Amino acid sequence: MKKYWFIFKTEVMSNMQYILNVLAGFIGYFIMLFIFFNLWKYIYNEPNQIINGYTMSQMIWYVIITEILWSVLSGRKYCAKIIDDVRGGNIAYNVNKPYNYIGYCLATHLGSCFIRAIMYIVLGMFIGLIFLGNFPSLNIFSILAVLITGILATVISTLLLTFIGLFSFIIEDANPFYWVYSKLILVLGTIFPIEYFPTFIQPILKFSPIYVVSYGPAHLFVNFNWAEFINIIIFQFIYIIIAYLMCSLVYKIGVKRLNVNGG
Amino acid sequence: MLMEVKNQLKVSLLAIKYAVMREMLNKVTFITNIIFMILNNASFIIQWLILFSLKDNVGGYSFKQVMLLWGIASATYGFAHFFFKKAFSLSDTINNGKLDVYLVQPKNVLLSAICTDVDVSAIGDMLYGYIMLFVYGFNISSFLLFTLFVICGGLIITCVSVILNSLSFWFQKSDIIADTGNSLMTNIATYPEGIFKGVVKILLFTLIPVGIANYLPVKIISEFNIYLFVIVIGVTILFIMLAFIIFNKGLKKYSSSNLMIARI
Amino acid sequence: MAIIEINKLSKTFKVKIKDKGLKGSLKAIIKPQYKMVKAVKNISFKVEKGEIIAFIGPNGAGKSTTIKMLTGILYPDKGNIKVLGIDTKLERKKLAYQIGTVFGQKEQLWTHLTPYDNFKFFGAIYDIPESRVEKKIEEFRVLFELDEFINTPVRNLSLGQRIRCEIVASLIHEPKILFLDEPTIGLDPVVKENIRTLIKRMNKEYKTTIFLTSHDVGDIEKLCKRVIIINDGQVVLDDSMENLKYHYLNKKIVEAKMKEKINLDDEEGITILKDKGYNLKIEVDTTKKSVADALKLLNPDKIVDINIANIPLEDIISNIYKKEGTKK
Repeated sequence: MKKYWFIFKTEVMSNMQYILNVLAGFIGYFIMLFIFFNLWKYIYNEPNQIINGYTMSQMIWYVIITEILWSVLSGRKYCAKIIDDVRGGNIAYNVNKPYNYIGYCLATHLGSCFIRAIMYIVLGMFIGLIFLGNFPSLNIFSILAVLITGILATVISTLLLTFIGLFSFIIEDANPFYWVYSKLILVLGTIFPIEYFPTFIQPILKFSPIYVVSYGPAHLFVNFNWAEFINIIIFQFIYIIIAYLMCSLVYKIGVKRLNVNGG
Repeated sequence: MLMEVKNQLKVSLLAIKYAVMREMLNKVTFITNIIFMILNNASFIIQWLILFSLKDNVGGYSFKQVMLLWGIASATYGFAHFFFKKAFSLSDTINNGKLDVYLVQPKNVLLSAICTDVDVSAIGDMLYGYIMLFVYGFNISSFLLFTLFVICGGLIITCVSVILNSLSFWFQKSDIIADTGNSLMTNIATYPEGIFKGVVKILLFTLIPVGIANYLPVKIISEFNIYLFVIVIGVTILFIMLAFIIFNKGLKKYSSSNLMIARI
Repeated sequence: MAIIEINKLSKTFKVKIKDKGLKGSLKAIIKPQYKMVKAVKNISFKVEKGEIIAFIGPNGAGKSTTIKMLTGILYPDKGNIKVLGIDTKLERKKLAYQIGTVFGQKEQLWTHLTPYDNFKFFGAIYDIPESRVEKKIEEFRVLFELDEFINTPVRNLSLGQRIRCEIVASLIHEPKILFLDEPTIGLDPVVKENIRTLIKRMNKEYKTTIFLTSHDVGDIEKLCKRVIIINDGQVVLDDSMENLKYHYLNKKIVEAKMKEKINLDDEEGITILKDKGYNLKIEVDTTKKSVADALKLLNPDKIVDINIANIPLEDIISNIYKKEGTKK
């Protein structure tokens, strides 16, 4: 475990020098939020109106959180890197290293997310306060609880992206899979809460990754209750175990193929 | 003069043709890139179906008009990124000293620098634009107007990018400004003008000319208006002139400057 | 008439300076500090039609800056440049039709296309009618032996073949002057020789004036009749190759393998470079002592093997650099 902690720390430090790039990336996030702010202000006839169970500021806070979760992940680059490693054969160098490859991926990627997460959270909250002038009713414990679900959400996303990346062991190019996954998360999980979709899809969405990687933390943030927290955490742990097992399985299959084909 | 323009066009088109040939080397990637971009754009229809289930009109637009707006926005984006891909990373070209190659050629430096590469997925954007035009309602006049506006809008966003990227001639880290400007233009372009108010709205018809490139065309195709038509054409010409003037000013500065910025 | 005329040319750069560490970085953002670096200081020279000139100097001496001014990429701060009678600052396009450039490290070719298609592209850039481009390509194909690979995509060519194509591509519009910046960098000896032959041939066939920078002494020695050495922004030597050798070649290196150990002391005109008992290496200054006298000192009967050579050009040149360096 100590080993992964060290990998994580090293990655955090090496990312420190890209703070300016993170800020530049934040501008894009700000633009999206600005548009959504205007859009929802137009859709809501008055701020106290409730649409599908959300007030206007709850709706906008929801998007602030899901967009943070999505932007911090920076999944495109990460997934593309694993796909390249697999297809280019670089992954062979990891086979005889004294660490678990999936653990290594997780530690490096969480490390590279760390600085982004801090900056996006601080700036995102700040922007929300300026746009809306209010903050959801949360205390220090519930904030911590949301933070935990946020971290677990990032862990799950990372594992799922790792799985997609490693999938290129089995098919030639896993990029289309990434594409489908990212569209699902963006369109069905980021811009609207689950309640906005037709009732017959809602149960499906609640069992999909969307519930644990974006809806869960964001919904807790705008409408906190401990019962839901427990529910989300349980789901998240189940997802982590499943996703980890899937990754290990694909990796094992892949390594076997490497040994046969010699990379 | 006329001969010069003809020769210039010949070289630029040849460069684009060669770039397309390069991308076509891998036909599967070429086609999947295009198809995925069409699907990518189409996935946003879900967003608008939901929004229109909440309200009959969004920002003064009907559902069909939003689709037309999406069509214009994606086709202008596609046009610009297909023919002038490098205009959107021009500050890299400037900062890395890559302009030198074009400076020793007897052609227009700006055009040589921005017409050397194509973005394949931009073809998907252009196709999607026309698909949306069919969704909106197709007839010859709307088709012709649409095509004209795609060219005008594409030229406008290209020129805005050239102008912002040209700031690199004066300020080293200005590529952040250019990137911000470009992402503002593309992101706002797919949302109805009615949701923006006040200063922002004024900006959209001046500094960030999304209004001219996207909103006016939707208006004109919905209901023809000669004044608005003239404005779109006029502003396009204005932006083209501005882009050339500012870039050439920067180029002069580049040649005579004594700032050594990663120039070696 | 001189084909290139440079008169009292100067160019100064402003370079940002930064202290070490984070504090330095912050300071550089808030209040940037600049240092003026004179890249080119008051240089003048002329080049005649048909010459092959080697323009050499250590890294950072101002070579690239000068070439960039000659080709119209940069404008001088002070002084005049006339290339083919054209003011490079005022008439960039007109100049561009008449000159060719090859920058060894910057590729200008489309790598997925064949050399043939590339040549046609360059033909279009210089507004040459299709039929003439084709005739020209045919001519080059024979003259520069491009047959083997003229229809192979550039990315499948070897580095040497690529450079050959780069150079030929820059000849499509029959430039009167060709600027070659490090054309043989990173090539193996056989390929280098190939490129040199090409350069010589084009100089002979088309009377193209060639202005060449290189770090490779072989290029300079085998191609050029005249050398201009620039160091620290100034021309330190502008002379014919012959003169350069003559002035600096009055020293010989004598290496001898002896049957017996001999003891040799430094005396006028002789410097001992290496003395390992049986193996000796001495430098003889022929203005002070003849080679024959030097050999007598060695006792010719005891010599097993001997080698008398000029000082390598490389050493001569680095000596010139060093001398200028210490003058400051």
